[in-house]
Amino acid sequence: MTEASSHIEFIIGEEKRLADIVGKAEVEPLLRSALKLGITRAALLDEDDLPLAVLGELPESGAPVRKQLNILVEGEPKGALLLEATEDLPGFEAIARLLQDALQLTVTNNLKRMLTTEVHTTIVQESYEQLVNTNRRLMESERRYRDLARDLELKVEERTAELKAAYSRLLQQEKLAAVGQLAAGMAHEINTPLGFIGSNLHSFTKYQARMAEMLELYQRLLDEGGVLEQIAWQARQRRQQLKLDFVLTDSGLLLEQCREGVERIATIVAQLKGFAHLDGMEQQSMDLVHELKQLLAGRAPQFPPNTRLITDLQPLPPVVCRVPLMVQAFANILDNALKSRAEGLELRVSSAVAGERLLISISDNGCGIPADQLPRIFEPFFTTRPVGSGTGMGLTVAREAVIGAGGALEVTSREGEGTVVTVCLPLTLDP
Amino acid sequence: MIEFDEQQKRLVLKLVYYGPALSGKTTNLLCLHDRLQQEGRGELMMLDTTEDRTIYFDLLPFFYVAPSGLKIKLKVYTVPGQVRHDATRKAVLQRADGVVFIADSQLIQQGVNAESFANLEQNLSMVGLAIEQLPLVVQFNKQDLPGVVPEAELRETWGPTGLPVFMASALQGWGVLETFQAAVEGLFDTVDQKLGLREHYQVSRDDFVAQLVQAETKL
Repeated sequence: MTEASSHIEFIIGEEKRLADIVGKAEVEPLLRSALKLGITRAALLDEDDLPLAVLGELPESGAPVRKQLNILVEGEPKGALLLEATEDLPGFEAIARLLQDALQLTVTNNLKRMLTTEVHTTIVQESYEQLVNTNRRLMESERRYRDLARDLELKVEERTAELKAAYSRLLQQEKLAAVGQLAAGMAHEINTPLGFIGSNLHSFTKYQARMAEMLELYQRLLDEGGVLEQIAWQARQRRQQLKLDFVLTDSGLLLEQCREGVERIATIVAQLKGFAHLDGMEQQSMDLVHELKQLLAGRAPQFPPNTRLITDLQPLPPVVCRVPLMVQAFANILDNALKSRAEGLELRVSSAVAGERLLISISDNGCGIPADQLPRIFEPFFTTRPVGSGTGMGLTVAREAVIGAGGALEVTSREGEGTVVTVCLPLTLDP
Repeated sequence: MIEFDEQQKRLVLKLVYYGPALSGKTTNLLCLHDRLQQEGRGELMMLDTTEDRTIYFDLLPFFYVAPSGLKIKLKVYTVPGQVRHDATRKAVLQRADGVVFIADSQLIQQGVNAESFANLEQNLSMVGLAIEQLPLVVQFNKQDLPGVVPEAELRETWGPTGLPVFMASALQGWGVLETFQAAVEGLFDTVDQKLGLREHYQVSRDDFVAQLVQAETKL
């Protein structure tokens, strides 16, 4: 059976025929009791005067008395009780009324029951439909969640891959930006010494021409032969004209400046090489505490007046790293601390083993780093010092060295209170 | 419309008394039953109740026979007002020809009235009836109680709707017949428009109304 065919539609108020309300089986017992009381024939007629139930036979002869009484449905005559009896039946009227009342009660009660049942069925059907609908919606949502759960893993993987790709793109962009910055900074840093080297060489070329001319004069005067006093006089005259005394002194200065310039360039290149690990430096075992002590001793002359050095250097196991780079890293950190205060510096250097890590901390009570500059301190060529007094490579190089050794460099600072630089290196066990 | 049989000359109409729980819908029908002449009406049938509260519906039928022989039967129903019997209300509303909304005049019941009216609007549209095409009469019952909203205020609120509004006390028996009469008049007008009662069946409006709303003659 399909849903549709099992669905019964009731309209409350729909008119009902008497036959819908009472059946033959219900009526016949009543009619039968009428016969027992002496009624000859008893019948229930419907709206069209057609019998719904008939009991009893009319005799061939004798004119019976007939009584027809209405049966009401919702206050409206919808049928009739027809009784026929012989004239002399005592209490015919009373029997008829009794029977009418009994039938009327049956009809009314049946109607009430039917109406109640119809409303009830309608409600049950509606509730059932609602339940079916709810169930369908629930099943749909369950299916959606099942699909979602199945796809979730896949989706997470997809998203993760996307994120990774985006991150590596970002990293690449950052690297490119850093390289650009590096190149720009480098160009500037190298350009300055190159500028004065070029200018110095230009001057020196002119000086060299004068020196050559002087030499030629000597040669010519000697070749011509003559009185020595004469030659000496002429040479002195010329030498004064060419300002050779100044030229010689200045040449020395120029060359000295050139050499310094070249050295500056060499330093920058050396730091860059370290920064880029281009030198293929060998990994070696290093006693960090020993190196730190040496470094502190070596830097002692540069300590500002009234410096208080507090060290708490606990012995550390050897660290395997590119030793010169690491020494340079600590030197840079130390130099920053030394420059953080003009006098009354309180420099604390400590080392310790914490779990599987080595911690070396260098702190000062110096000027500190403003919060807005803190994120930029590792950028190459970022410096707060006046032009010429800092390359801006110190912390960049230091961090590269520490990261290269598998560690991390952390800087905490408060402006006007001081800075703490902590180097954290992995504990490398002896093979 | 429940039934219209031209051959049998039979027309069966449905009028529904709607409204919130305990607003006096059954009391209205009881009052109509008591006050109207027996000739024009049948018996009041009350289906099962729990603690005197309607859970199915009540039914009071009225009869009218036109000079043309057209028999008109008007079935007046109440609905159960409690929120939980919404399915029954919807079932009773099916094919209704008119609605009487019985509201409770007490101030604290005004929210309940509004809820029930919204429910009526919703259910009418669910059974496919357009509220603006249905004769609708509003009655503010329980005017005999203290703490009722003043009539002027009720009229000010409901006036703009254009609906006929009646004050009543079904318990004291006033306002009930007026409400019913207005509903019967509205019913006649809409059915006349649809079927041409006057033109084709010689049903006069006054006669129809007078027959259905015939008060028991005072002795």
